[in-house]
Amino acid sequence: MVAENIVECHVLVIGSGGAGTRAAIEAARYGDVVIMSRSVAGKGGCTPMAEGGFNAVMNPEDCSTLHAEDTLRGGAYLNDPELVDVLVSEAPERMKDLVNWGAVFDLTPEKKLAQRPFGGQRFNRTCYAGDRTGHEMMMTLIEHLRVENISILHEISAIELLKSGGKVCGAAGLDRNGNLVLIKADAVVLATGGAAQVYEVNTNCATGNGQGFALAYRAGAELIDMEMVQFHPTGAVHPYDARGRLITEAVRGEGGLLMNKDGERFMERYDPERKELSTRDIVSRSIATEILEGRGTGKGGVYLDVSHLDDRYIEEKLPLMLEQFLNFGVDIRKEPMEVAPTAHHFMGGVRIDTNGATTVDGLFACGEVTGGIHGANRLGGNSLADTQVFGKRAGESAGKSPVAEKEIDPVQVEAIRARLDGYLAGEKSPAEVRKQLKEIMWESAGIYRTEKGLKKALSGIVDLVGEKLKAKGRENLIDCCTVADMITTALLVVRGSILRPESRGANTRTDLDPCIKPEESPYGHTFQSLEKSGIEKAEGN
Amino acid sequence: MSGIKKEKINVSILRQDPSSGSEPEFRDYTVEVNEGARALDVLMAIRDNIDPSLSFRHCCGAGQCGSCAIKINGEPKLACMTAAADKMILEPLDLPVLKDLSVDLVSELSKMPGLVPCECEELPEKDEIDKIKPIRDCIECLCCVSVCPAMKVVDFAGPTRMRQEMRLALDPRDSRNRVPLTVDEGLFTCTTCHACYLSCPKDIEIPGKAIEKLRELANRQGLTLDRHKEVAELVRTTGRSVERSGKTFLEKVPEVIEPYGEVRAEVGFYVGCMYNMRVVQTCLDTIEVLKRNGIRVIVPKEQVCCGSPLIRTGQTQILDHLKKTNIDCFVKRGIDTVLTMCAGCGATLKKDYETPFEVIDINQLLVKYGIEPPEILNVKVTYHDPCHLLRGQGISEEPRELIRMVAKEFVEMPSICCGAGGGVRSGLPDEAKALGKNRGIEIEKTGCDVVVTSCPFCEFHIQESTDRPVKNINSLILEGYRKKDGNC
Repeated sequence: MVAENIVECHVLVIGSGGAGTRAAIEAARYGDVVIMSRSVAGKGGCTPMAEGGFNAVMNPEDCSTLHAEDTLRGGAYLNDPELVDVLVSEAPERMKDLVNWGAVFDLTPEKKLAQRPFGGQRFNRTCYAGDRTGHEMMMTLIEHLRVENISILHEISAIELLKSGGKVCGAAGLDRNGNLVLIKADAVVLATGGAAQVYEVNTNCATGNGQGFALAYRAGAELIDMEMVQFHPTGAVHPYDARGRLITEAVRGEGGLLMNKDGERFMERYDPERKELSTRDIVSRSIATEILEGRGTGKGGVYLDVSHLDDRYIEEKLPLMLEQFLNFGVDIRKEPMEVAPTAHHFMGGVRIDTNGATTVDGLFACGEVTGGIHGANRLGGNSLADTQVFGKRAGESAGKSPVAEKEIDPVQVEAIRARLDGYLAGEKSPAEVRKQLKEIMWESAGIYRTEKGLKKALSGIVDLVGEKLKAKGRENLIDCCTVADMITTALLVVRGSILRPESRGANTRTDLDPCIKPEESPYGHTFQSLEKSGIEKAEGN
Repeated sequence: MSGIKKEKINVSILRQDPSSGSEPEFRDYTVEVNEGARALDVLMAIRDNIDPSLSFRHCCGAGQCGSCAIKINGEPKLACMTAAADKMILEPLDLPVLKDLSVDLVSELSKMPGLVPCECEELPEKDEIDKIKPIRDCIECLCCVSVCPAMKVVDFAGPTRMRQEMRLALDPRDSRNRVPLTVDEGLFTCTTCHACYLSCPKDIEIPGKAIEKLRELANRQGLTLDRHKEVAELVRTTGRSVERSGKTFLEKVPEVIEPYGEVRAEVGFYVGCMYNMRVVQTCLDTIEVLKRNGIRVIVPKEQVCCGSPLIRTGQTQILDHLKKTNIDCFVKRGIDTVLTMCAGCGATLKKDYETPFEVIDINQLLVKYGIEPPEILNVKVTYHDPCHLLRGQGISEEPRELIRMVAKEFVEMPSICCGAGGGVRSGLPDEAKALGKNRGIEIEKTGCDVVVTSCPFCEFHIQESTDRPVKNINSLILEGYRKKDGNC
């Protein structure tokens, strides 16, 4: 007896954010597609929260070589150049898709897509819809999904990839009530996003807890550069429970200034040329240093000020920021925001080729769950582009997978059931374990890292692995699965960081000399799978 | 950061699990949260520390995904954008409940129309983008759907689907003409009560920016309801939106009405069609109250219909002419403050006109200048908030203050549309009746002697659904004065 709820399709897409919906739209050209969405589709993932923009070369004076160079330089040359090439050369086409499907982006008076400056880029390349670009994209994709024949399983959370004979052939999920749902597919696209929720302070939505990394890892896929976690320079510091909430880079792109408590524009000291529009790793470290050295504000941040800009300009370009801060009693037209770095984006993830194929047969991946595109640090505006470029590619590759007889391995299903039963008989509150995990990660695997701290974190997390998580009822099974996967993901981050003996991009080791010329680093990707782990030697170095 | 203060929050949550067949019940919780916590943080604290079975949705935590909409103290709000307060009452939105605070969103969202791209690959013009943007911020939280009174009594696709229809109609990339479909989906059933607008966390003005604009498009395609066309024709030929039935208010009063005593203020008076021609006595009562309180009233006789019935029904061809006539008649007399006593006319003058003078509602005026206290009447009164006064002009406290001056007892009832507005009473009388009937039930529950309101449409319409007398505030105040005078 396998299970009562079995759904069958050609392509299963796990995740309903920007990458997942794009993959589903593309895959639907080849056969029937099912989207498995942990949230009500359209409401989950980090895409609707993305604010600033979408990088694409749209101006004849810009060129994709320049976009590629900026991306590689920003990524401390850890990026896969082939993936970068695909990203920069196809981003304009994917932007056009969105526009053709009805996206309402800001336009210039000449009826061209408006583009704003973003950190680490030598051209105004970031297309936008005010400061709600991701929401605009998501609405467009959902509008398009609604006219496609794609079936959506809302509020079903994936807990395991199903395998048969070494090939991924579907997934197991839990519905709202904790009932097991099995889906058989010829190909699976993993588009589950990132995992910044493993940190105490983060920008991510509630579903950004890294289940995709854990699912892929358990299915035997190889993950790379998991230590590369981007800390966004500007997260909110108030209210306390909402700290970490994203303050878009567009605030700086539109002219916002960073100031310490003494009113000093401190970025002039750290990066005199690019100042506030330096890359995110550098701005985050600069802010963290100001705070650590006692020049932070009373609420534990630094000031980010746009009050010198015209009120109407702020209202048009940063309406969401204005609304969010007004809601918490700060009028950004008149007074500065207070900000501090916040865990934001996973540059590392499942290793893919240019077609979105992972190292496991039948499994494709796109979006933040993948690694290699952004290297050691992602440029703002490149991830929305990434979701569309690689969403389309992964969807297409999965769609072209051969149709075959699909088998579910009853032994694997029994193992899943046994794991779930174990949670029902568990002892420890998953909420408590989650809290401890987030504190460990923030403390020892954050912006600044040392070998000693990482090893302490590792042993702390290993202790958590041993906890017997408890589900009070079936509806809480998902809480246990989620926390278990967060632990797996956190382990991958910490082990990745231990594997990399250099300070590079987002992996800042204070006990090592800074890597002055990352392009000459002797190291390549860190890699981790069930079978092997290590660090590659850089090609040519 | 360690110095963050903690606070204790007591909260009452409506718990229910329809699959178990048990009745919904409030349960009380006390949790400790950090200072500045939001309602969502309170819910998470309860689920993490007290009861993991509490069901609620949340995702982005930043007001962008629309997952966490619930009722907080009776008002739909996003839990992630609302500060926690002690003794909060948390309930699910008025939609089918799955469990506790989680409601069925998918049935409604799956009906939302998508965009079918045409082959043109044409970008919208800047002015089209500017028109789409204000209705594009929707996060599909369904607060508006949960409060829409029309959806509760008739088959209506609802506010956010109408918003989406308008968004599609404005976009050249969707080449379909869906306007006839929107009429079938209930475009004319909206009473323009603005409950959707007020509940919207993104402040999307659905009635003005979607419903009325779709009705304009319907008008251009000849889809306006016959009864609405008759009203427009009446306005075009007579300058008035109602038929003449006797001597009008304007014919009964002089152009300048002097107060009995010292002049404390001078206002121009915009009377409106209903008060001028249907509910004349109420209007005369109000003039008596103004005379008694030192207000000199100037009544230009050439004023015409404000155009509200045309705007609400999408028939705006002669609107500019009406506006000009009305504005000019006051400007010519050098008037800097214009008084309205019809809630609908007041909202129209304030929102749809650009007037060189201030527009003030009668309730605002009387509270601003203060009135001679009337004798307290031995009656129990409830108050019906006119949509165009409460939600259209944001006036809530002033009428209550006036009622408390004259009524011995005042009881509240929920503020819900009576069904008279938006052309529904004239165009879809069955719907108006159904909404009025619901008002009648609420009135009955209060056990009041008198229903007071401040709108001629509400006054007229509600009277058909209740056996209690429905009166304007000023008529009640005048009764108080007469009682006082009689006692002297």
